[in-house]
Amino acid sequence: MNEVVLEIDGKEVRAVEGMTILEAARSAAIDIPSLCYHRALTPYGGCRLCTVEICNEGRSRMVTSCVYPVAEGLVVKTRSDAVVRDRKMLIELMLAQAPGARVIQDLAAEYGVSETRFEVEDPENLCILCGLCARVCEERVGASAINFVGRGVKRRVETPFQLTSDVDFDVCLACGSCASVCPTGAIKLEDITAKKPVPLSSEFEMGLGTRAPVYIPFPQAVPKVAALDRNRCLHFATGQCAICQEFCEPGAIDFSQEDEIVELEVGAVIVASGFDLFDVSGLTEYGYGKIENVITAMEFERLTAASGPTMGELRRPSDGRVPGNVAFIQCVGSRDINNKAYCSAVCCMHATKEAILASEHHPGTKSTIFYMDMRAVGKRYQEYVERAKTEYDVTYIRGRPGEVAMDRETGNPIVWYTDTATGETKMCETELVVLCQALSPSNGVAELADLLDIRLDADGFVSTPEKPFRPVDTTRHGIFACGCAHGPRDIPDSVIQASAAAARAAEVLTDS
Amino acid sequence: MSGVKSRADLEKLRRAILSGRDFAKPCISVCAGTGCLALGCKKVIAALRDEVQKQGLEGRVEVKETGCPGFCEKGTVVVVYPQGICYLKVTPDDAAEVVSQTVNAGKAIDHLLYTDPVSGQKAIHEHEIPFYQKQMRFLLGNNSRIDPKNIDDYIALGGYDALAKALFQMSPEGVIEEVRRSGLRGRGGGGFPAARKWQTVRDAKDGPKYVVVNCDEGDPGAFMDRALMEGNPHSVLEGLAIAAYALGAHEGFIYVRAEYPLAVENAAVAIQQAENYGLLGDNILGSGFGFRVKIQRGAGAFVSGESSALMTAIEGRVGEPRPKYVHTSERGVWGRPTCLNNVETLANVPIIINRGADWYAEIGTEGSKGTKIFSLVGKVNNTGLVEVPMGISLRDIVFGIGGGIPGGKEFKAVQTGGPSGGCIPERLLDSGVDFDELGSLGSMMGSGGMIVMDEDTCMVDTARYFLDFLADESCGKCTPCREGIRQMLSILNGICEGRGKDGDIELLQELSVAIRETSLCALGATAPNPVLTTIQYFRDEYEAHIRDRRCPAHVCRELISYYIDPARCQACLICLKNCPAEAISGGKDRIHVIDQSRCTRCGNCLDLCPTRFAAVRKMSGQPVPPSLPEEDRLLVRSEE
Repeated sequence: MNEVVLEIDGKEVRAVEGMTILEAARSAAIDIPSLCYHRALTPYGGCRLCTVEICNEGRSRMVTSCVYPVAEGLVVKTRSDAVVRDRKMLIELMLAQAPGARVIQDLAAEYGVSETRFEVEDPENLCILCGLCARVCEERVGASAINFVGRGVKRRVETPFQLTSDVDFDVCLACGSCASVCPTGAIKLEDITAKKPVPLSSEFEMGLGTRAPVYIPFPQAVPKVAALDRNRCLHFATGQCAICQEFCEPGAIDFSQEDEIVELEVGAVIVASGFDLFDVSGLTEYGYGKIENVITAMEFERLTAASGPTMGELRRPSDGRVPGNVAFIQCVGSRDINNKAYCSAVCCMHATKEAILASEHHPGTKSTIFYMDMRAVGKRYQEYVERAKTEYDVTYIRGRPGEVAMDRETGNPIVWYTDTATGETKMCETELVVLCQALSPSNGVAELADLLDIRLDADGFVSTPEKPFRPVDTTRHGIFACGCAHGPRDIPDSVIQASAAAARAAEVLTDS
Repeated sequence: MSGVKSRADLEKLRRAILSGRDFAKPCISVCAGTGCLALGCKKVIAALRDEVQKQGLEGRVEVKETGCPGFCEKGTVVVVYPQGICYLKVTPDDAAEVVSQTVNAGKAIDHLLYTDPVSGQKAIHEHEIPFYQKQMRFLLGNNSRIDPKNIDDYIALGGYDALAKALFQMSPEGVIEEVRRSGLRGRGGGGFPAARKWQTVRDAKDGPKYVVVNCDEGDPGAFMDRALMEGNPHSVLEGLAIAAYALGAHEGFIYVRAEYPLAVENAAVAIQQAENYGLLGDNILGSGFGFRVKIQRGAGAFVSGESSALMTAIEGRVGEPRPKYVHTSERGVWGRPTCLNNVETLANVPIIINRGADWYAEIGTEGSKGTKIFSLVGKVNNTGLVEVPMGISLRDIVFGIGGGIPGGKEFKAVQTGGPSGGCIPERLLDSGVDFDELGSLGSMMGSGGMIVMDEDTCMVDTARYFLDFLADESCGKCTPCREGIRQMLSILNGICEGRGKDGDIELLQELSVAIRETSLCALGATAPNPVLTTIQYFRDEYEAHIRDRRCPAHVCRELISYYIDPARCQACLICLKNCPAEAISGGKDRIHVIDQSRCTRCGNCLDLCPTRFAAVRKMSGQPVPPSLPEEDRLLVRSEE
């Protein structure tokens, strides 16, 4: 592509043949306002705000920079007197058209337009007829569910025949693209379709937050690369969009990518398949899924995470209020002959940490931990628990709650328990209940074990029978397991075992 | 009909047609253009055919349905050949007389001839009628001799000779050069040099190339292209084919607005007949040059007459203009080089080829060559289509050809250029019609609409009328046009309704600058013209509306009152009985009084009051005089 050199506001700008003045200006960080322009859509030239003055051979004229192609030696003025004068008038017209639109009010402030001298026909109107919604739906979504109807002053954005509810007619995918490109917030999805948009739940956020079809799973993902959800990607659904591929500078997106079967000859295998969380909704006595303010510990983690759906504010599900007190219930699913007989090892410590976190995020929030045994085994773990009791006012009650009920008016959960210290059966009204759920063997580990021809133990974890001398060896020579793959353990232990497994693998490899 | 396969064949065909015609044979040409159709010409034609049969003249007298000869004020127009006697305002009842007196006995019928309104003198032939005398009718002149549905008529008059000359005696570059030397400028409104556009398309490297005829004529009051397309479609087709040859196009489109069904029909017939004769198609006249034409109908939008919007419509999409930084002559229909010309522009081409650029350039002014057809309408005696040489003065057109203002009223302004043009006052009437001169007055030639206005026309209301039209017809895509026109209209409505305020005029002027400079297409860019020219030349009317709440022309409803002069009222009860608002009180021998609170200003009373009483008058800018007390309303008539 040929390079083109032009002058914008006295500054030399290098552009590429085929670019528009607006694209060239933006690449040189020169600001030209526009409302109907979007990088991923064909230029429209409707709002006229991007008008600039070009000078060529002594004659100057006004053109819209979003469609005018760059040319060698072109001289452009983006803020000449004439341009500013015309822009102010356009803003004044738009203020009359959509007085409540924030983006226009901001432009008015920037250009010193304090009021509009023109008649405001509809003070509630927000639509400036920029066409972004119609264009994104036609060009990228491929549905053409909305478009302009009417001519002249009667022009407006509508669905075909102004129908929104007839399902057969309804080509709208409820994807929300129109609402997301609308600069003024004029688009309301319910005016377009009766279909309810289905937010894409983020698995990492435990369903408490959403993600896009193209997403980086979580901030600390390794590798930190975006993934494309084939089931929710518009390109796979309609053949359109593909904006991501168009704008990916290194050209890393390949829609035709398929799973590859790679055959490797290896000398050792390390199974590090981790764990999955036990589904606590089966334990109906705790009311998870029925009582809104009963959440799992993992959900609690997301709520208190700074990068989570609430930016770290512990807001309870029913009303978004910060709870004044929280009750943690330990051994949910663990140490339970009806579910998992084993101890999940990490819950006592993470409950203590979470109780402290709740108090740090929201001073004054008190926590109560209902436990069977406090498994604070590890260097300085017991001291941590004592700190929780003394410095963070965490109450530890020995007793396994039998039931969680709910106060219908307040949504507060009510925990029924037997205090084994005193032998009394009591109830404790709290504002939020956190269930510390068991750690289960990873889904799919049974198939994996089959494939690898290794045995699982009675609890379904990978069996490493030769404890204590070969703690990471599975039942098959050359195959090792580390971390929660062969039983619940915490992070430090998992890391140690990872090194151990690597060392074992190295041993085996040098042997052969 | 076997195909005409060479230039010699065409000449043979022409001679065959001519030899088959008896020029002594009487032919009654009746205008069958849309205007006369509305006046009932079909009945006239049927009556004439009936009479011909009744009088035993079947086969010896021809009744021909022709195109529009332009004198629309006096339709139905009938010309009897071979004498060329011109009859005006012909009705079916006149049929018998026309056949027996004129056709059979050769006598002119007095009451059907043109009568000079001042001297009473009669004119027999078209060229004796003052309406036609100052015209130069190269484009429209043949209309009374041609049945648009019969190609032979056109060929008999020398039709398609220019195409043959171009194909066999000239190179495509030579054709462009001839058009360039003639100085032909676009007749659709832009006035762009036709040859320059043709050259750009010819030079474009991409292909295939297209030629398009713009017959979307949307200016209110303009019907020049209609008369050409209905009346002489072959002249346009021939011009189109020559253009196609010149720039290397093999496919053409005629875009006709759907509101011209007769033009659509006649164009389709013309194309078919031309193809039958090998004058259109794959190998025209055996020259090896192929060219086919399709008709595309408009769908009711004025903006589709804008060249880029028209091309978008041909592509099957909504007719919205596109930014024209990349010219349509390089990227037009389906992104290919496209040449779009107006109907009248193309109709000029065969004439230029036939008679030469030098001859053509002798007509007109330095910057505007040839003739222009104007549709002269409004408050003028002789309404219709006038074809005049460029440079003729507006005064000559309005008074010399148009016969001045009816009813003895005062001329006030003439509006040219439709909604993109402006109003020109009396003191500038000696200006010549020329692209550049009209532009310097703040107006423009436009497509040729010329609306005459008199003292009873309110110039503010006129500006409002055009804005109202544009508010509807703007495509609505760009902010300055859509919102700018909306707000200009709102301000003008306010002024006309008595809500004008100081500063409105200045605001209109300020807004006009932005609209002009930032609109996407010419519709928006020229939309302020009517407002700006009326402010420039008739500012006093605006100020009267705003400051005095007065409409000097007594037009703006909210600013006028109707008043019955008690000194003149004869209590005839006519206005009282016909008032739709029952606002008039009175009775036999009791003076009629209008209740201003009920009056809707419909004007019925003014229209109905017998002229010998003339008791009703309009007032503006002042309250109506107080009504006579009840006891004084008894009418005392003087004994005469």
